[in-house]
Amino acid sequence: MIVLAEVNGLALGVFSVVLAITLGITFWASKRASSTDNFYAAGRGITGFQNGLAISGDYLSAASFLGIAGLIYLYGFDGFLYSIGFLVAFLTVMFLLAERMRNAGKYTIADVLSFRLRERPARVAAAIGTLNVAAFYLIAQMVGAGVLIQALVGFSFTVSVLITGTFMLTYVVFGGMIATTWVQIIKAVLLMIGIVVISIFVLERVNFNPIELFNRAEAAGQGEGSTFSLAPGTFLKNDIDLISLGLALVLGTAGLPHILMRFFTVPTAQAARSSVVTAMFIIGGFYLLTTIIGFGARAILGEGGVEAAGTGGNLAAPNLAEELGGGAGTTGGDLFLAIIAGIAFATILAVVAGLVLSASAAVAHDIYSSLIRKGQDSEKQEVVVAKIAAIGIGIIAMAIAIIGGEGLNVSFMVGLAFAIAASANFPALLLALTWRRFNTVGAVAGVLLGVGSALLLIIISPIVWGGAPGAPNTGAFDWYDLNNPGIISIPLGFLGCYLGTILSSEKGNEKEFHELYVRSETGLGAEKAISH
Amino acid sequence: MAQDKVADGTHQVDWEGIERSPEFQELVKRKRSFTIPGTVFFLTWYMTFIFLCAFAKGFMGERVYEGLTVGYVLALTQFLMVFVLGLLYLSRSKNVFDPLAEKAIERHVIPDESPADGAGARADAPNEKVAR
Repeated sequence: MIVLAEVNGLALGVFSVVLAITLGITFWASKRASSTDNFYAAGRGITGFQNGLAISGDYLSAASFLGIAGLIYLYGFDGFLYSIGFLVAFLTVMFLLAERMRNAGKYTIADVLSFRLRERPARVAAAIGTLNVAAFYLIAQMVGAGVLIQALVGFSFTVSVLITGTFMLTYVVFGGMIATTWVQIIKAVLLMIGIVVISIFVLERVNFNPIELFNRAEAAGQGEGSTFSLAPGTFLKNDIDLISLGLALVLGTAGLPHILMRFFTVPTAQAARSSVVTAMFIIGGFYLLTTIIGFGARAILGEGGVEAAGTGGNLAAPNLAEELGGGAGTTGGDLFLAIIAGIAFATILAVVAGLVLSASAAVAHDIYSSLIRKGQDSEKQEVVVAKIAAIGIGIIAMAIAIIGGEGLNVSFMVGLAFAIAASANFPALLLALTWRRFNTVGAVAGVLLGVGSALLLIIISPIVWGGAPGAPNTGAFDWYDLNNPGIISIPLGFLGCYLGTILSSEKGNEKEFHELYVRSETGLGAEKAISH
Repeated sequence: MAQDKVADGTHQVDWEGIERSPEFQELVKRKRSFTIPGTVFFLTWYMTFIFLCAFAKGFMGERVYEGLTVGYVLALTQFLMVFVLGLLYLSRSKNVFDPLAEKAIERHVIPDESPADGAGARADAPNEKVAR
């Protein structure tokens, strides 16, 4: 193992504490992870409040914590735009999907689709959507993990990715959804404590007057070469691309498999509902505070800190924490930096564990158990397959992250995951739950057109061909300059569902729809919690 | 898929009958009259904000008070919208939708001890899941 010379001992200490706690939880959970209900859905025994915390833990990735603070530090207002899309997206989830998913589904998105559609094609389509989203999201998070741990602790990129992947797999394989949920809950609590404390330190510098913080940030962002602005347009320069991103963000969350899967862990639709609202308040509060961190970093670190903040400004928040603790080299500064590093590490682990679990469920539950074994395998066998799948997926993600290396753009990959989720999973799910006429051909056409168009548009997008974000005419084709495909691929996903349905001779299964409809609206017949 | 549905014996439920019942129709009507306008409202307000960011950058950068811009204030209204709609939906569900849903299914609930029909080869019946 190649370990760099400059390992930050204090940060390593905090890392070890985080790992010790999470491994303790995994050991405790490992005795309960044998049935499919426990492995995928934590026995449906998570309370609404706990699930709200866990959703926050699943959702607030390192891209949210360090990435958005960094973008606000570098570009000001435009960084904040991401947070708003990420947050408002929960209204889509709450109004349209959360309770219906809980009532109608079992472990995966495919369960909901195959309820009323022909099982094999519906499951394959749903698994394709799920695996694509999970792959892009997972690889993005692994690369982010590698870059951050390298910067904060001092391990090399490869070692950092391997450590993250190993612990991620440990939680999932030994502790299933129970361990994953508690890792997410602990992470959410640590993250909120961390961000509140830094915010208080920042606000203390401006006598708790946020307007003064904006003024100082603006004054510090005046220098030559500064990209900082209190107005939009410094980062997202392409107007149509901005709208495309906005659309992908607000509809994408409702198609993220690892978030939707969390609704199967609560006992009732009521708990699913209250967990969304809890998550809204935690995530909303978090994003409000990231503006304080971002503007605070601008006001306190100034233009001089841009280089140290690294690509995308990812290290602005840790650098700010170090400065607030007393500066580089002081005990306080080292301690603050180490704590932030530990929180960032916990953040990454919680997100990747959730992702790998949702992907392994798609492989084991949808493809292996339902399609290959046609439901003839035992629950124990399915759990074993899910664990093997998790290991396989984890190893592939680690390999791609290490081969692709630090050059992969994290926020680009996350934006792509959201666009695929919004174009492929969301239309099919929504229509399966609400449109009487919807049929299998429609679902398959919608998912394939959604995934296919999103992937194709990403391949021809300027950023893939080395163009600067927002710069016109730098792509493979001079008539196409969008980096986010959402504005085209989301309507195409819906169009595929619609055309597939009306053009095929297949009649929708009326009888199954009555059941799905009543069940999703009332909860009659929904999967029950395991009695404890 | 059969095993997904027979788990608690609800295969005997007259789903179509429930769907046609006035209680269920009332539930769906009341729910829709809240969630559809709610969805239209939040998507409109959110996309208005996004369009302003794209096409009215000058306006978004105007000062309301010192360093506080129109854009930031409008962004805060998005947060407010999420919190208010979230709480409103919670209270509406608790006071209106949940009681209606209960009424809609009340006559159709089949006791848990009804035997599963054994169609699923999987050990999915609830009584087998509690063992641990």
